[in-house]
Parts: sequence; structure tokens; C-alpha cells
Amino acid sequence: MRILLVEDEAPLRETLAARLKRDGFAVDAAQDGEEALYLGREVPFDLAIIDLGLPKMSGMELIKALREHGQRYPVLILTARGGWQDKVEGLKQGADDYLVKPFHVEELLARINALVRRASGWSKPVLACGPIKLDTTAQTVTVEGKIVDLTSYEYKVLEYLMLHAGELVSKADLTEHIYQQDFDRDSNVLEVFIGRLRRKLDPEGALKPIETVRGRGYRFAIPRTDGDDE
Amino acid sequence: MDADTALPSPAPTATTSEPAARRPLSLAARSAITTGFVLAAFLGLVGVVMSVTKQQSALNNLQGQLRDAAITDIITHTDANRDGRLLPPDSPPQKFSQPGSGLYAVILGPDGYHWESTSAIGHDFRFLKPLPTGEQVFTGPVETRMGRLYYYAIGVAFDFPGRKSTPATIMVAQTEQQLEGENAVYRRTLALWLSVLGVMLIVLQLLLLRWSLTPLRKVASEMSQVERGDSDHLDSQYPLELTGLTERINAFIDSEREQRTRYRHTLADLAHSLKTPLAVIRSQLESASDEPTRRGVLDQVRRMDELVAYQLARAATSGRQTFAVAVPIASHAEDLVQSLEKVYAAKNVLCEFDIADGASFHGELNDLLELMGNLLENAFKWTRHHVLLVVQKQPQPGRGRPGLLISVEDDGPGIAADKIEKVLQRGVRGDERVQGHGIGLSIVQDIVRAYRGELTVDRSPDLGGARFSVKLPPE
Repeated sequence: MRILLVEDEAPLRETLAARLKRDGFAVDAAQDGEEALYLGREVPFDLAIIDLGLPKMSGMELIKALREHGQRYPVLILTARGGWQDKVEGLKQGADDYLVKPFHVEELLARINALVRRASGWSKPVLACGPIKLDTTAQTVTVEGKIVDLTSYEYKVLEYLMLHAGELVSKADLTEHIYQQDFDRDSNVLEVFIGRLRRKLDPEGALKPIETVRGRGYRFAIPRTDGDDE
Repeated sequence: MDADTALPSPAPTATTSEPAARRPLSLAARSAITTGFVLAAFLGLVGVVMSVTKQQSALNNLQGQLRDAAITDIITHTDANRDGRLLPPDSPPQKFSQPGSGLYAVILGPDGYHWESTSAIGHDFRFLKPLPTGEQVFTGPVETRMGRLYYYAIGVAFDFPGRKSTPATIMVAQTEQQLEGENAVYRRTLALWLSVLGVMLIVLQLLLLRWSLTPLRKVASEMSQVERGDSDHLDSQYPLELTGLTERINAFIDSEREQRTRYRHTLADLAHSLKTPLAVIRSQLESASDEPTRRGVLDQVRRMDELVAYQLARAATSGRQTFAVAVPIASHAEDLVQSLEKVYAAKNVLCEFDIADGASFHGELNDLLELMGNLLENAFKWTRHHVLLVVQKQPQPGRGRPGLLISVEDDGPGIAADKIEKVLQRGVRGDERVQGHGIGLSIVQDIVRAYRGELTVDRSPDLGGARFSVKLPPE
């Protein structure tokens, strides 16, 4: 999951970035509106966290510019001003949620998860595809009700694939959204992760949850059982 | 002359609104009283002068008439014989022979000669004394038995050639009634016309006054428009004498608004500058490892943060204002609900509106957004599926602005009757915040209080959850 973090206060930016990375997010941090706009246009983010009071270009203007440029990923506003006027204005400009400073990092993480999930069409915090269930709040995976022990990176890969269940996800997409830097694009680290995931989720080889689309990428093959209508 | 009759004039309000403190007389009353006195004095004087003059000329006329009558009607018809005895007038005119005609003639001659016209028979003219020849007297009124008389008397001598002349005194008298009657008619006519003139002048004066006070009434009506929020300033053109006043009022309105905006901005800047360091401390502490210190400091940070948030929200509430612009409610409510639907997208909340046409809030937009935003967010938080927002106007006769009822209902668990008081009392201080109905509700209560309104909580009759109702009074 790749996140754009825009915050002008260096200590807050650094603490948040460190915390997000520890939780398995790829983070690109920007300290002003212009830098953020450049990054926001170039990098395929899954979510942006934008402080409203920014130098050079206000958060409001940044959100507007990103939306006008066609970026559809969810935007979460951070604001020191708890007033409804700011909240309404920000949400009108294209933001999807807000958080009033100061906040608990856990609260931020919960909102991020919910937004990302919603953006890929999942309404519940538990992503269910047949027997495989991924709980985005507890960050646990179960198959037929039994907990599967995954590493942080394995979890992130599976989460990304399940969020986009049924869609083709290229290796480049996966690398970009999971890793901090585009290191080792050609290495087979990703294939190793996928291999391990397949063994852990489907030791008997009966479910075949992740299929390889030769030369193009992967697809999570079990259809969603938890629709929006439930 | 002035179409604006619906406006109360200053005078009646003076008696109704402040019975205790005596208010100075209205301008119209002052002007009417002074004009009334001056006019009365002036017209009275004119009346006196004119009637005195008239009296004088009437007396002069009377003297002339009586003299003419004495000479042409009496003297020319009278003669003396050769013995020197006077012969009574041969045929005095008709008017002297009618009893009660009020016109009398008397001739006094030597040796007790006494002649009276038929009209005078039976009356007593003993006050008349013989006059030396050539002397004349006009006098009156004289008190007699037949009433007050004016008379003209002249001493004459009838000459007979070769004899000594016979002296006689001729008197013609007229009762006062004739003269007085004439004078009274004159005085009545004069008084009538002078009063008509006076009334006309006073009416004209009042009309003039009304016309010249029109701009003042206009100021009053425009001020109440500004108060109702229908207008920003006193925009009309005013006469030179008032522009100083109206310009200053406009400047005052502007500065009041500016000051409020500046105050709010200062507070918002303060919020920003305080809250970011707090956020830094909190996020750093949260990732720190020493658990007990971390808990302790975090707790204090949370307290500080909530106090700052609460006090700021309190201070930013501007409250009931005299010069508030009317804020239309419907469009802002839609914005708020759309925002909340976005944030609570996962809950798939159905929010229905029932907002009266043209309902508007007389105060700061910010206060309206905080009021409805916090109530709605609360409802979105607790609802299962369904939220209802009702805004009603509650007009009250005699008040310019209608009252307002804003209620937000949901189909959530609601608040038990015995907990309602607790919910309403909570948040008196920011650090007593409890999850759920927290700071948001205490902000709502502050705003409602600042606008002299009323917040009640009960169970929604239709949806079954909580219902928060805010009543704002009419102005």
C-alpha cells in the first residue's frame, strides 16, 4: 500500500512516516503543496494524507489540483482546525475523510485501512473470498476459520491482491505499492513471496487462490463473497 | 406624503416600550407644541388688534351716523316761533317713531321745553344736560333704564330775525345692541377665520415635519433590515445632515464584523499553532517505548488538547448578534450531509431532510455549521440506517425574525430517559468528554446558549432513536 504523506511539520511528518512504514506501508513524504502535487501526479498512490495548512500551496488547493488531474485515490485530511467549515470545504474539494489534530496514530491507521478498502469496493473490514478471510482491522488471515501465520510483507501482498480480487495486478504494481523504493524490480523476491503465500493458504493445492497470468502479473482468483449489498 | 405608514412613529413607542424611564418628547411633539403656542399667541394678538381697530372705526361710524341723523332728521325739521318757543319737528323719520327701534331723539329747549321722539316716550333722559350753543358731545356707553346707550348731543341756537335766538340741545341716541351686534358678528367671523388659519398652519407644519423626518424614519427601517439580516448596510441616499450619522453607523457595522472575523482568525491561528506541536508530542510518545511515562504524558497531552479544542470552540461561538446576515439553511445542510455521507460511506446512511422554505439562521455561518454538523455527526455515528433532519420556522406575531426549530433524529439505540440529563450536563468542561456524545455536544450547547436557545433530547417518535431538538427564539 503506497501512501502520500503531506505535512509541513518535520517532527510529525517523520514520526508518522516511520510509524506507517513499520506497519508495512510504502510512504512518500512531502513537506509542501508543490512537492506533494508533483509526487501525487507521478506516483500511483493508494491513498494520500494531506495536512490542510501547508506552505506554498494549501491543502485545499492541492486536493483540488490532484482531483482535476484525474487522481482518484482516497484523500484523508489532517486539520488543526476542528471546525465544520474546513471539513465541509475539504470534503467538497474531493477529500474522503478527515482527522482533527492531534489524533491517535491507531485512529489514523484505522481510517487509512477503511478508506483503501472502500476505494476498492469493499464495504466491510473483513475481506472474504470463499474460505479465505482477511481482517483489515486485526490484520489477520484465516482459511476455513483457522488463522494463517503471515509475515508483514506476505500480509501486505495478500491484502493488495484481495483488495483487487478478480483484477489483474502487474508485478510492477505490486512492487510499487508494497515496497518503499523500486529496488530489485527484476529479482524474484516477489515470486518467492507469492510462492510462500500459496503454500500457507493452500497447502493441499485445492483452492488455487492466486493465479499467475504469464508475463503480466497475478490475479486473486476466488471471487468476493462479501459484496456491498450484504 | 409618506407611504411608509407601517412603521411605528417615535411617539407611540415612547409610551409603550419604556413606561418606567421618561423619554424626552418626540421631535414631532416638540415642534407641534412650540408651533401651537407661537401660533396661538400670534393669532390671538392679531385678533385683539383687529377687533380693537374695528371697534374704534365702528364708534367713529356711529358718531357720524348719529350726527347726520341729528342734523338731517331733527334739526332741519325743527324751528322756533316768533315767541322764541321751539316747535317740535314736523315729521321725523319713521325710525324715530317706532317704539323699541333703539334710536331715540330728544330736544331740550329753554324754560323746561322737552321733546322726545315717539320711540323714546316713557323713557328717562334726565342725564342729558343742556349744552352751550356750538358744543357737541359724543359719548357712551351710558347706563340707562333702557340699556346702555351711545348718544350724540349738540347745542344749537334757532335764530329768528330781529329776536334773540332760541338755544336748544338736540340729542340722538342709539342703544348699544346695534353696535355690539355688529361688533359681535365681526368678532365671531374674525375668530372663525383666525382659527381656520391656525389649524391650517398647524396641519401644514405637521406635514412639513413629517416630510423632513422621513429620512430619520428611513434610517430606522434600514437599521431594522440590517438587524434582520436582510441588508448589509444603510444603503440609501440620505440628506446632508444625516450622512455623518449614517456613514458612522455603517463604519460601526463594518468594524464590528471585521473585529469578529479577526478575532476568529486569531483563534484559528492559535489553534493551528498549538495543535500541531501537540500532535507531534503525541505521535512521538505513541511510538516511544517506556510505557509508564508514555501513558502519563499522553494523558496530559490529551487533556491539554481537549481543553484547547473546547475553549477554542467556545470562544469562536459568536452568539446572538444585532447585525447578523441571514444564512440560508438548506444549502449548508446539504453540504454537511454530503460530507458526512462521504465519511460514513460504509454505513450507507439514508439521511432525509425536511427543511422549511426560506428557513435561515441569523448569525455566523460558522455557528450554524458547528450546530448542525455536530448534531448530524452524532446522529450518523449512532444511527443504524436512517437519519432525519427537520428545520421549521416558528414565526411569532410582532417579531421581525421567526424562531427556528432544528431537530436531528436517528434510528440508533437512543438515550435512556435517566441518562438524558447526564448527556446534557456532560462537557461542561472539555476534559469530561466521554466517547460518543463528547465535545461536539458541548459545543452545540454553548452555541445554543449563546443564541439564547434551548436544547432538548428525547426519543424520536418516528425513528425510535435519539432526537436532539434546538429551539432558537424569534427576534
